[in-house]
Amino acid sequence: MPAPAVITFSLNILSAIVALLTSYYAYRFNRIVDNSVLRAISVGFMLLGVGLIADAGTSLVSGKTLVESFADRILILLVSFTYLTVQMAAYLVIAVGYAMAAYGKRLDRAYPVALAGAAAVGLYRFSILSYFVALILLAFVVFQGLLIHSRGGNRFSAIVLLAFSLILVAHVVLLLSVLTLGSGLFLVGTAVQFFGFVSLLAFVVRSEIVGAR
Amino acid sequence: MAQGEKQRSVLRINLDILNAVQDMGDAKPTHILYKANLSHERLTRYLEDLTTKGLIVVNQEGENRTYRLTPKGVSFLIEMRRAESFVQGFGLAI
Repeated sequence: MPAPAVITFSLNILSAIVALLTSYYAYRFNRIVDNSVLRAISVGFMLLGVGLIADAGTSLVSGKTLVESFADRILILLVSFTYLTVQMAAYLVIAVGYAMAAYGKRLDRAYPVALAGAAAVGLYRFSILSYFVALILLAFVVFQGLLIHSRGGNRFSAIVLLAFSLILVAHVVLLLSVLTLGSGLFLVGTAVQFFGFVSLLAFVVRSEIVGAR
Repeated sequence: MAQGEKQRSVLRINLDILNAVQDMGDAKPTHILYKANLSHERLTRYLEDLTTKGLIVVNQEGENRTYRLTPKGVSFLIEMRRAESFVQGFGLAI
């Protein structure tokens, strides 16, 4: 397997592990707290983890990064459709959940509509559109995170905000890499996304340590 | 309740009580009442509930009644604190 594909595979697998770990913690604490926002976070990060594993699988099977393998249309159509659709759905679930945290329960009724929207979006052609949609959703998540943090947030909300901001920046770079078909940019985007997940890991570990004191 | 002050959830009240009991070791009801900011009637109800769940244990010596965390209570308190730290990251509160 060429070096860029190995790097993409490794970073995506590590990011997937952090996403699934975050999903597990949200699920575990939701059993105590019973909160719809935590449920959304749990489902969102689970979808993200699955999507990242699918993307890592592309590198493993084709030996190429997502952008490099754009030439292999058949394979990429199958695998990246799954990845990008799942990714969009994940960010949508998190965005709606985050908005519920920021605005209270008023969005409860909008939730099924939003999920149905995600399913509808999944039917669209993927590629640039899906990256763009994921980018808009992430920008929304970061905006909500800023709102929450500015309303008396603490260091925990700051770390989560940093994580989502890094993932947003990563998606800007990833979108550029898709537009320019630049595999160097794709690697940079994947690396920035990985650091976003490292921030999330720092948050999960910190909340464990603080809780145990 | 002061205007704008949110009503505490049952989970939050339980967490405040368990924190108070842990802080004092053998905790007298009056101390818990003060620390958890509850009326005597409500505190009695919550203490009974926590005792039934096996999270705290009552120690009655003559007229003195004290409460102590059980091992199950200590584990539950740690998990609650972890949950609290986690949900704060997403702008939520217990």
